Parts: sequence; C-alpha cells; structure tokens
Amino acid sequence: MLKAKWWKVLSFVLLLYTCTYGFIVKVPKLDDRLRESIRNMFFHVPMWFGMMILFFVSLVYAIKYLRTANPVYDVYSSSYASIGLLFGTLGIITGAFWANYQWGSPWVGDPKQNGAAIALLIYFAYFVLRGSLLDIEKRARLSAVYNIFSFFMLFPTLWILPRLTESLHPGGQGSEGNPGINGKDMSMEMRIVFYPAVIGWTLLGVWISTIHIRVQLLKLKKEELL
Amino acid sequence: MISILQATIANNTDNLMVRDGKIYLVMTIVSIILVGLFIYVASIDKKISQLERSSKD
Repeated sequence: MLKAKWWKVLSFVLLLYTCTYGFIVKVPKLDDRLRESIRNMFFHVPMWFGMMILFFVSLVYAIKYLRTANPVYDVYSSSYASIGLLFGTLGIITGAFWANYQWGSPWVGDPKQNGAAIALLIYFAYFVLRGSLLDIEKRARLSAVYNIFSFFMLFPTLWILPRLTESLHPGGQGSEGNPGINGKDMSMEMRIVFYPAVIGWTLLGVWISTIHIRVQLLKLKKEELL
Repeated sequence: MISILQATIANNTDNLMVRDGKIYLVMTIVSIILVGLFIYVASIDKKISQLERSSKD
C-alpha cells in the first residue's frame, strides 16, 4: 500500500490547481512586454524556491550526520541534495527557454543566471566528491562538510551578488522598467496561484526525495551495511 | 478539406476548448501529464512500501 501522507495529497491538489487556474487567472498587462509568458512564474520560480528548501534540508541532515555519525543521515542529506539539484537544473533550463523569447537569447550573462550556474556547479561537485570516495564513512563525513560549504555558497551566488549589480531578474539594481519582471509586477490574483505553486512543487520535491531515500536505505540493508 | 476544418473550428465558439485562444486545451494537456506523473510517483511509493515490508520479514 501507498505510504499515505496528507501532504502528498496536498501536493497533488495544489499542483492541479496551479496547472489549471494558473493558465486562466487574469495576469497584469505590463505594456504587453510579457504577455502570457508571465505565467512562467508558476513553474520556473517555484523550481528555485523548491531547490533552496531541499538544499536547506540537505544541510540540516549533513550537520546531523556530523553530530551523530549515523549513516542514515548521510543518505537523507545526499538524497535531498540530488533532488534539489534536479529542481535547480529544471529551473535553469526553463529560465533559459523563457529568456530566449523575452530577452532574445537563452543565455544573456545576467548576474543571477551566472550565479545560479555557479551554485549548481558547486552542488554538482558535491556528487563528484561523493563518487570519488569509496570508503563509506569517509565519503559521508567529507561530503557532509562540503555540503555545508556549498549551501553557504548560495548566499553570494544567488542572494547577494545579483542584487549588487544591474540584473534583469527581480531584486537587482535598476530593476525598475527592465524587460523582465520585478516583484511589484505580480498582482494579487497571481499571488494566490504563485504561493500554492511554491508549496505544491516543493512538496513534490520532498516526496521524490523520500522515495530516493527509501530506495537507498533498502539498498544499504540488502548489502548489509546498515 | 483543411480549410473547411479550420472554418468549423473558428465558428465553434461555444466550445470551451476553442474559445479564449485554446488556452484550455493547453491547460488540459498539462493537467493530464501532471496526473500521470503523480500516478507514477504514487505507484513507485507503493512498490517501495511492499519492498520495505518484505525486507523486514
């Protein structure tokens, strides 16, 4: 039987709401510069919110591992990081696709685009590090320490540096009147789709992560390492 | 033949799928994919639960 949890149902309901009402909700005109492509807010942006939340959970389990040396926490930490990385990758692909039509090119070298790419590369290196160590305990300990470093690299790459320079993304300097979108462009009607979308996509990410974790734990059990 | 088809579709404004620039069509397709995705994830979840029970025994 399905491991029944209320939040799995909630995730489905919220995403069904996003994928239906998100297409018909009234969106602001904004001098016709975004048109219907503003609906990307319900799909592209929640990927990044989800990624940050999953990476944060991964960080918490990395710290827990370092405090207890319980190998289960290493499985939790790496699974959340891998699904977070999946969300980030989807975020960067959807962003590039949108930018091709709105900014004229899939990659315009926007500070936030570059920062996001660096942040993702740092997390890819986390898996390179894990793959290169054969000793399980050493791998868990080193990757937990690296996980803490990579989470804190999100601060400059995603949250600080793009805000200090001109950026096409919201939050950058001179973002007023940019061809993208800034926070004030989101109408109330959009917010009542956007926030449920963030919660729905994040819960789906957590669900996939828990599935990943359970598979890893079963594998470890089978190899009698646990 | 194609032009007749197009004219029929253009005149068919009562149909929800055709009105409003056919956005309802996209909406339905995305919803179908979403439902399929959730069914798939739920079935994996179910299978893992079975494996977990059998590994306990």
